[in-house]
Order: sequence, then C-alpha cells, then structure tokens
Amino acid sequence: MKKQISLALAGAMALSLAACGGSASTATSTPEAASAAESTAASTEAAADGDVLDQAAAAAFSQDVTLTMWGAEEDQDLLREISDKFIEKYGNYGGKITINLGAQSEKEAKDTVLTDPTAAADVFAFADDQLNELVKAGALQEVQLNADDVKSRNTPASVDAATVDGKLYAYPLTADNGYFMFYDKSFFTEDDVKSLDTMMEKAAAAGKKVSMDVANGWYLYSFYAGAGLNLGLADDGVNTVCNWNEAPGADVTQAVIDICKNPGFISLKDEEFTGKLKDGTLVAGVNGTWRANDAAEAWGDNYAACKLPTYTLNGEQVQMASFSGFKLIGVNPHSANVGAAMLLADFVTNEENEELRFKERAQGPSNTNALAAASSPALTAVVDQSEYANLQRVGGNFWASAETLGSICVNGNPDGKDTQTLVDDAVAGITAPVTQ
Amino acid sequence: MPGEKNFFQTFGKAFVKGDIFTKVSFLVWGLGYIGHGQLMKALLVTLVEGLGLYFLAFYGAPNLAKFGTLGTVKMEMVFDVTTMKNVVNNYDNSFEILLMSMISFVVIAALIAAAMMVVTSNYQLQKIRAAGKKTNSFLQDINVYLNEKFYVTLLTLPVLGVVVFTIVPLFILIAVAFTNYDQQHMPPNDLFTWVGLTNFFTLFGGGGMTSTFGYSFAKVLTWTLVWAFFATFTTFFGGILLAMFINDQKTKCPKLWRTLFMVTIAVPQFVTLLLVRNFFSNNGIFNTMMANAGVTDFLHNIGLLDKGLSYIPFLTQPSWAMFTIIMINIWIGVPYQMLISTGVLMNIPADMIEAARIDGANPVQMFFRIKLPYLLSVQGPSLVTDFVRNVNNFNVIYLLTQDVFVTNNQQLAQSNAKEIDLLVTWLFRLTQEYYNYKMAAVLGIMVFIVCAVFTVVCFHFINKKEATFS
Repeated sequence: MKKQISLALAGAMALSLAACGGSASTATSTPEAASAAESTAASTEAAADGDVLDQAAAAAFSQDVTLTMWGAEEDQDLLREISDKFIEKYGNYGGKITINLGAQSEKEAKDTVLTDPTAAADVFAFADDQLNELVKAGALQEVQLNADDVKSRNTPASVDAATVDGKLYAYPLTADNGYFMFYDKSFFTEDDVKSLDTMMEKAAAAGKKVSMDVANGWYLYSFYAGAGLNLGLADDGVNTVCNWNEAPGADVTQAVIDICKNPGFISLKDEEFTGKLKDGTLVAGVNGTWRANDAAEAWGDNYAACKLPTYTLNGEQVQMASFSGFKLIGVNPHSANVGAAMLLADFVTNEENEELRFKERAQGPSNTNALAAASSPALTAVVDQSEYANLQRVGGNFWASAETLGSICVNGNPDGKDTQTLVDDAVAGITAPVTQ
Repeated sequence: MPGEKNFFQTFGKAFVKGDIFTKVSFLVWGLGYIGHGQLMKALLVTLVEGLGLYFLAFYGAPNLAKFGTLGTVKMEMVFDVTTMKNVVNNYDNSFEILLMSMISFVVIAALIAAAMMVVTSNYQLQKIRAAGKKTNSFLQDINVYLNEKFYVTLLTLPVLGVVVFTIVPLFILIAVAFTNYDQQHMPPNDLFTWVGLTNFFTLFGGGGMTSTFGYSFAKVLTWTLVWAFFATFTTFFGGILLAMFINDQKTKCPKLWRTLFMVTIAVPQFVTLLLVRNFFSNNGIFNTMMANAGVTDFLHNIGLLDKGLSYIPFLTQPSWAMFTIIMINIWIGVPYQMLISTGVLMNIPADMIEAARIDGANPVQMFFRIKLPYLLSVQGPSLVTDFVRNVNNFNVIYLLTQDVFVTNNQQLAQSNAKEIDLLVTWLFRLTQEYYNYKMAAVLGIMVFIVCAVFTVVCFHFINKKEATFS
C-alpha cells in the first residue's frame, strides 16, 4: 500500500519533471560541392552589417552544425522553406548544416522552454509577453551580432517589445499579435463600430452577439487602461504595480459588469470564438489576427476589422485601450552553437522572409519595409489601434487575479460584493510580491 | 530475513571474533575473500566497491561538499565572437547538487550495509574453514543463488528499481520542500538554497499578509476529502446496484447490458472527459438543450440559478461544478465497480441466500443483512485503495475543468488554487504553470501524509472488523 502511494507520488513528481518537446522533422544539406560560387553568394546583402555576418558565418559554419528551431504548428511549411534557403546560403563554408524543426505554439513557448532551458530548441518563436520571464530565467541570448541592424530595420514599437533594460534580447518577427475588433460589415456601418453600446444594441435587437473574452487579464486590461489606470512592471522587473483600485476603477468594474449583462454581448474563450462565428451567433468580436481567417471564412466579403470601440463609463465615452502584441524569435543561450543560432534567427526575421511570411501566413511584418508593402483589413486595424495600445509589461501575479476579476464580472458579480472591494481584492493579488 | 538489530548484532560479533582477513574485509572487501580462498568473489566484490568509491570520489564528494549551501557560484555566460559560442563559467547547479547528494547518500548507505554483510559472510567462511570443511567454489555459490536462495536473485531487480525510481525521487521531493526552488530560483541560471521550515509555515497560514496559501490549503484539502468520499461511495453503491440489476433473473440479455457498460471503459478516459467538458460548457450543446427544454427557465424560477445567467454554469461555478464532476465521475467509475461487484455477488454462498429466503426475508432485508456486509467485508481493502486513488484522481478533475473553470475567489486565485482543485491538481498547476516547486513539494508531502494516515487507520479498523465478521 505504502509503496503504491509513494509510487503515485513519484509518478506525480516525474510528470512534473518530464519535459515535453515538439515533434521534429529533419532536412540536411551537404556542402554544395564546396567550390566556385562560394564567395559571391553570401556577401551581396547590406554593406557594413553584411561583413559582420559574413565573418560570423565563416566562424560558425566552418564545422558541422545542427540547429533546432521551434515554431507554430501552422508555420512548419514556411519554416522548412526558410530553413532550406538558410542552408543554401550558408552551406558553403565547409560545415554541414542540419536544421530540425519542432512544433511549439508561440503563446506557450515559455512553458516548454522554462521547464528545462538546456533542453529547449536553439531558436524558438514566442509571444512578447513572455520576454521578461524568459530573460529573468536566463533563457534568452542577448542579440550580439548585428543588434543595430535589427533595431533599425524593425518598427520602434517592436524593438521596444524585444528589449529589456536597454538590451535587445530577441528578433522581432510580427507586429500584429495584439487584438482589435472584427465585424460583419453587412450588419454594422462604419459609424456603428465606433461605440460598443451601439454595437451591442444593434446586435441584441437582431438576437446576435458581440464577443470578447472578458475573463482574461489580457483583454480585461482594455477597459481599465482605457480609463487611464496604470498597470506595469515594478522596478525590480518581477513584481507588478497596479492602481486599478483607485478612481475610476470601481466604476470601470461596474461598467464591465453591465456590458457582460447586456443581451447583445457574450464573453467567449478563444477556442469558443470560431464555433460561434460559424453558427452565425456573432456579428462582431474582439480577437487577434490568428482568428482572421476564421472570420473571413464565416463572413466572406463582409469581413472587416477596425480599432476597438468606445465604452460608456459614468455616462461618458471612453476609448478602449489594448495590449500591443508582437511575435519574437529568441535564441537559447544554452545552445551549443549560439552564433549559428543567432544567424538563423536573424535570417528568419529579415525583410525578405517576413514578406514571405505575410504572403504565406498573413502575419503582419515587424520589418518597416515589409510592413509598408503589406496590407490587409486586420493589419489596418492593428495600425489604427496602435495609438491606444501599450506594451505588455506585467509580472507573473497579474494573470490569475485579473482572470478572477474578469470572471466575477462575466458571472454578474455573484456574491454581490461592492465594486470597490472587487478591485481592492484584485489589486491585492496582482501586486502581491512574487517571492515571499 | 534477520531483523535490523539482529543484523547489527551478527555483524558486531563477526567483526570482533573475526580473524585479520575478516576484519580487513570491512575496508577492502576482496581481501577477506582472498584470505578465505574465494578469488572470483573477491574480484567481483572489489569491483563493486571500487565502482561505488569511484562514484563517491568523483561525483559524490564535490556535490556533497556543496550540499550545505546548494551552490554559491551563479552561471555567467560570455559570447565569444571568434568562436561564435558562449563561454560559460564553472557554475553550480543547485538541482544537480541536490540530486547527486541524494544519490550519494543512498550509495553511502548501501556501501556501509554491503561492507557489514561482507564481514558477516567472511566470518561464516572463517568458521567453515576453522571446522576443517571446504568453502564453496564460485560455481557452487552461483548455484546457491539459482536454487536455495533464488528469491534473492528474483528480488534484486525490483528492489533496485524501487530504490532508483521511488526512494531517490521521494528523498528529492522531500528535500525540495525545505528549499526556495521556484521561478525566481530556477537552475541552471539561478541558485536555490535551504530555507528550513518556511514553506511549511506558508502552507499553514504564515508567510505574511499577502500569502493566502493557508486559506487555500484548508479549502482544497476539505474539497479533496469530500470529493474522495463521494467519488468512492457513489461509484461503490452505483456499481452494486447496477450489478444486481443486471444479474437479476428477470433481466433479459444481461450480457448485452454488461458489454454496453464496458464500452465506457474501452474508450480512453481523457477522450471521454474532454468531450464531456465541451458538452457541459457554458455555450455547449447540453446548455442549448437545457434552454430549449425549458430547464434553464425552470431553474431561474425556483431560484437555483442566478437571473443574470442565460446558461447553467455546469463547470464554471463552484457548487455546480462540484456536483457535475461527481455526477460525471459516477458515470465513468460505475462500470469498474459493477465488474468487481458482479464477481463478489456471484460468490455469496447460495445456501445463505436460500436460508434467508426460507426465513421469509424480503429482498431489501437480504441486501442489507447479507449481501452488503459480505460485499463490505470482501471489498473493504479495495474501498480504502479507491479512496486513496480518488484523493489523487487527477484525470477527472483536471481534464474536466482545465481552461474552463475560473475561480471567483481572489484569495484562491492568489495562491493559484481553485475551488474544485484536489491537492494533486493544485500541485500539478503549481509546477507546470507557475514553477513553484517548493510549495508543490510541500503539498506532495501533505498528500502523502493524508493518504498514509487514512490508510493506516482504515486497515487497522478493517483488520479488527474482519476478525469479528468471519
């Protein structure tokens, strides 16, 4: 009996320690008959930085190198294509380059990487909200080869999103990972979508819904930040500062509760969003580019996107704010070939490959030139919203407490607590010191 | 097997009365056997001793030296542009130090025990030789282990397995509970160190104004026990009822029914649970059905459901979720119990039932006076096991509520717990999502204590009871 219990315990422990990697696919190139075309192929790119990269490549690829790269499941074909180009470009320095790909969603990259940084991929994609924790855990290599080039070729906001304490820790990959409003333009006019009240009223009248995942700190932020309240990282870089319990925080909470009670509104988790789109319940919803294809499918030509609307706070219209979101490519400092990994990360995020990413996967580039060339309804909405969007810099204790606050609002404040108490409780949790 | 005291006594006697070879064999195992004419054995045991000492010298000692602090040198990396690689300093990895130290402790204990056994066995050899008889040759020794002492051969591997896969991890789990191993102190980049009983104070309500672990622990422990009780007894009685219905003489095609219920077992549990979770979600198919059938309105009218909710929060509000989870668990757990009960019920001596019937007992009386006591006496121990298994019933709770249930209680949220969490799901979330290994380790110890105390008390009770029943 005791043995069984201890086995069960050990099992639980083992479970918690087991690292879960992604599935891998492999492709290899032999050094292309190492001869003639050698010198000209690699060096025609940007002038000064090109030299740095050439020297780096010569040092990195003179011996055989195997790199592992993690990216989203849906991006695997694209990444394979980019990897092949990379191998072609750098394959003639004498060493054999092998790139293994693994599927790992960007939004959960941190969970896998932090479980065991030494076993994580050399190069991995992740969402910028994880940057801080990854840096703290020493799971990101500072960009040390061509940081100035990376900074100058990407939009300033995306560079900020990849920077901690003035040091660049990742390569910006996409600039449209935030959220905005999707809508059916046969249902709403361009004037309707300026105010959430109008939208909900129209939707309710037709028995339809406008959706937003309120029980989620990421979206809930929108209301409080819109009202001018503050949420950010403390100076120690670990804890969270938050003043949502100051005026008008309590009123914002009441406003959110009222919105959730509105018959024209529904709070949906990301996974539930697509289902409700397809069954025709939704005529609008707050979500991100990753659902753009679903919305376009459901509404066809009527698919449109715009910045977030305003909501009513104490009788006045307040513009909803948002978290801006970026996808970044990080290099694992525990990699045996850090230099080669940096070259790969740089290559994946260069102008040409971000353009390719936009073409194949409709992900908005962070590269200034590529962004200027790209256009889509979602991207326009992101750009419009960017004026009201803030970088996501919060500590680890934000999420659970904010989620609970949102959930209380969605459930119509079941315990009937005073709204001031609700925000006070939430802020106590959000600002609680991480280490006790 | 000789008792512990016995073993030490034998060793003491052997060491005191042993000749020089026996005595010296405590330090160099092989010397004794050489002296007593068993060369092959001497070679083998010296090799084992050598390997043990080699491990201790080169892997154990450096880590044991740092065991007191769990390391002091933090990892530092410098990127070298000429080689394109990171240069890493000679840093300490707290977890590795802990792990290797624990293994070293086990190895040291094993070496000492083995040395004592070697001395004892040498003393035996010495006595045999003193009596003028011949000691066993190597082949004869092997023969002994394949015949008279075959159990030793058979048990070696399982015992090694238990030590490597259970004892060592268990020691580490216990040790981690006394450190500050969490997201702020994660090897290899950071060091963690001993913090004494701090984590236990935190769990029992200490840890300052902002810590809610004490509150959450009380809540989670209560629900864990309530859940384990209901989960065990609902499936137990459900299974008995089902078994009796199916076995009743009036039931037609019992095999068909039995097979149908078996299908629940045949489908992997997590598939069923994830599907059921979707059925019961706030906007799921079951809620749509309830709304269409008017049940949602009915619940509104009798006041069981808040007017503001247009759906039944099957898996999203604490009391509803607790109810739903127990119900779903009945459906999943009953078939197993039915199988077991069928077997036990069939084993009730027919003459007992017959006698009761002749005495004029009705079916209800027969159930409570004969069948149930019989079932309880046979299944008592398995009920205890079921209870413990339900305390650790990770699947049902986690798969049904993960990503769906959000707590509305800020105090729980602050310590990453939920109303419907069991200790083990809370533990899992603490490690997987929040890397709070120190608190998870403390919880692990608590789970162990809860299960151990319950088991010991129950078996004590059952053993007494069993004596009176039969």
